[in-house]
Amino acid sequence: MRLLGFFMPKMPVSLVYMLQSVEYDPWGFVSWLKELPNLRRIMYRRTLHFTKKAKALVLFTYTIWSALLLVAVLLAVVDNYVFAAAIVLLSPLVCVIALFIAVLIARVFITGPREKKLIAASEKKFAVHPAIKIAVAGSYGKTTMKELLATVLAEGKQVAATPGNLNVPISHARWLNRLEGNEEVLIIEYGEGAPGDVARFAHTTHPNIGVITGLAPAHLDRYPSLHAAGDDIFSLADYLGDSNTYVNGDSVAAQDFIKSEQNVYTEKGIGDWNIQDVQVGYEGIKFVMQRGDDILELHSELLGRHQIGPLAAVASIALKVGLTRDQVEAGIAKTKPFEHRLQPRPLNGAWILDDTYNGNIDGIRAGLALLKELPANRKVYVTPGLVDQGVETGPVHREMGRLIAAANPDQVVLMQNSAASLIRAGLEEAGYQGGVLVEADPLQFYTNLEHFVAAGDLVLMQNDWTDNYR
Amino acid sequence: MNKPTVAVIFGSRSAEHDVSIVTALASVIKPLELSKQYNVVPVYIAKDGRWFSDPKLKDIQLFSSGAIDEFMRKSKPVALEFGKGLKLIQSGGMRNRSTTIDIVFPATHGTYGEDGTLMGVLEMANVPFVGCDVAASAIAMDKVLSKQQAIANNILTPKFVYFTRHDFARQNGSLLNKIEKDLQYPLFVKPAHLGSSIGITRVMNRNELENAIEVALHYDSKALVEEGVSNLIEVTQPIIGNDNPQLAHLEQPLTQAEDFFDFDTKYMKGGKKGKGGAKTDSRGAQGYSKIPADLPTDLYEKAQSIAVEVYRAVGCSGIARIDMLIDSKSGQVYFNEINPMPGSLYSHNWNKAGVSNINLVTRLVELAIEKHAEKQKIATTFSTNYLKQF
Repeated sequence: MRLLGFFMPKMPVSLVYMLQSVEYDPWGFVSWLKELPNLRRIMYRRTLHFTKKAKALVLFTYTIWSALLLVAVLLAVVDNYVFAAAIVLLSPLVCVIALFIAVLIARVFITGPREKKLIAASEKKFAVHPAIKIAVAGSYGKTTMKELLATVLAEGKQVAATPGNLNVPISHARWLNRLEGNEEVLIIEYGEGAPGDVARFAHTTHPNIGVITGLAPAHLDRYPSLHAAGDDIFSLADYLGDSNTYVNGDSVAAQDFIKSEQNVYTEKGIGDWNIQDVQVGYEGIKFVMQRGDDILELHSELLGRHQIGPLAAVASIALKVGLTRDQVEAGIAKTKPFEHRLQPRPLNGAWILDDTYNGNIDGIRAGLALLKELPANRKVYVTPGLVDQGVETGPVHREMGRLIAAANPDQVVLMQNSAASLIRAGLEEAGYQGGVLVEADPLQFYTNLEHFVAAGDLVLMQNDWTDNYR
Repeated sequence: MNKPTVAVIFGSRSAEHDVSIVTALASVIKPLELSKQYNVVPVYIAKDGRWFSDPKLKDIQLFSSGAIDEFMRKSKPVALEFGKGLKLIQSGGMRNRSTTIDIVFPATHGTYGEDGTLMGVLEMANVPFVGCDVAASAIAMDKVLSKQQAIANNILTPKFVYFTRHDFARQNGSLLNKIEKDLQYPLFVKPAHLGSSIGITRVMNRNELENAIEVALHYDSKALVEEGVSNLIEVTQPIIGNDNPQLAHLEQPLTQAEDFFDFDTKYMKGGKKGKGGAKTDSRGAQGYSKIPADLPTDLYEKAQSIAVEVYRAVGCSGIARIDMLIDSKSGQVYFNEINPMPGSLYSHNWNKAGVSNINLVTRLVELAIEKHAEKQKIATTFSTNYLKQF
């Protein structure tokens, strides 16, 4: 039945959607195709974004397909039905191969060389740019840290930060070209994806300060192990020196890499600064940072105790680059939850915490700690599980199950996929007694959430499970 | 294990046919299906009284687009079979298709449904069903009977006069005289059996009164005229439960003294323009109500207590909504009317009371099963030698 999808009229659109979903990586495209996806349902959650590149590829595929079908018709006209049928049957395969070759050729001969040139030019521009350059690296929390730094430092400095999640050298280069040149602080997010990436990014962007937001299993399809990912991320400290490196001390997996000479931030403080009088609620967090007689009274709309460490790091960096205490307090007060990152929204009198951009076990731990801490009549935890966990998939999901059980929500909602049984195993190991619902159709569940909740409920939704995972 | 099958019946020969479709599709079928505890079978009773059952009937587009007419032209109606429970029989091809129904969720409003007629069919079939039984439904849907029941239980209700179409045709002038003698303007003229405030008119003089009675008797064969309550605060109390009623919040529709909580205010998007303190919300009553009602605690509790008294006096079970009128100066609470199948189950209020849509419908199904099980304990037949004498 799945093969039938390759013969439907919108097959070329579906194939290009797949390519777009894997960022036009030809090998990612092939590995998805190996799973023989159902093309009729592949654009269920999202649809193709018709960029110029996507339009060209769709047109290219339709042209090839039409040509093949035309040949088949001509063969049928001259009574060569066997060849005609063979061409019709093989035409989708030919389209797939043609698309793969087209994308591969473009990458090797056109986009690849062009990007190399741009990146090389950016290295020279970064080297001479007078701004303080702050690099943000880590398996998770990078975008949040970058936005926090940008929000707070903007209280006293001219700041520019890499936009969205454009965090690879070619995006850094294009972004740098758009800058005015009068910036006082540049914040650069590093999106590591394979061994050696972070060191390479550092040599290109020449940072003065680095923030390592945490280490957790992510992209383990390309890193041989979690330790290898840690080696890569912590190569930033090798480049900058420990005193210029800020590290999230609450990250469990990062412990083996952390050195006391580094600026380690935790929810207890950073350096000589201690954290006191913490209040956590739906309206955000409040705490006091104290160092001797120095006191910072901080309030943020960010949710969760785990945000205290990053906020303390941001406050510390802000003071280091020359902001006043008042500017730091005002800047921290402007920090708000980011979209899909523990973002609260009311529904039928309930609170929905949208943490669907979270994709790591430390984020799971933090979200569940918040779920446990906040008051509610009924607590519901929703997750499809984590993707890109590689060899850690089994242990990570069982650990998730145990963490969920420890937070003890009234109801757990899982999605019918390969992670569900692993999470259930973890829940059972930890003796979870609440209700477990396994949803076959995540989209239906998310769009009908209003039927599941009532006033006083708290629903935490974590992680995302995109179309290219099962 | 097989999931029980719940038939959701909606539509019917009623002025509230369309409201029933929305209640069934949005507030009953959707959450029942999302609960994953039941197979849900939609049963649509057309305006001409034919019964249809098809999964396509779960889609509101079928009704909103008008495609329902084409659907009915092409589809065969279902028949009902009693015996061991209720079966829907769909004729077709070589043999009929039969669907056994374990529980029925009537989502009908008004005549030929909410008024007890449908419940009679379901009681004959001996199938558990959600909501009030035949007697309670019939009393609740007759504003005169429900007021008489309230009076018999020492529950205050505004003074009223009632009459049939025949009475009015025969003694028009004298009836109007009697109304004007016994009651004081402003008066409310109401059809006795319709819900959703259809056909209700507020009148200030004899001319308006006569016209309003004609309107009410256009919709119904029985009508009543009742006195308005001074210093009015309208409230409504949703209740679920059998022997142990559970209350949602007391709700206060935001209408003004010269206005009342009518069909437009309840159901139409945007409600009544410029009236009732309407804000931006367009979700019918939800956008025009205070939940919970803004009342002193003692008055709030008094109204809730009276609502429970009415619920019990009428013999309600499953679900109902009790409407009351409060004189804010005297603190008197008057029973107004009772609605045995509130539109959309009043789920917006239950949500605020901490009951989700799914929990509401699944609880109602549980209550139906409990009530049915209780009823099975009652002996309905016994053996005699009576026939042997013939």
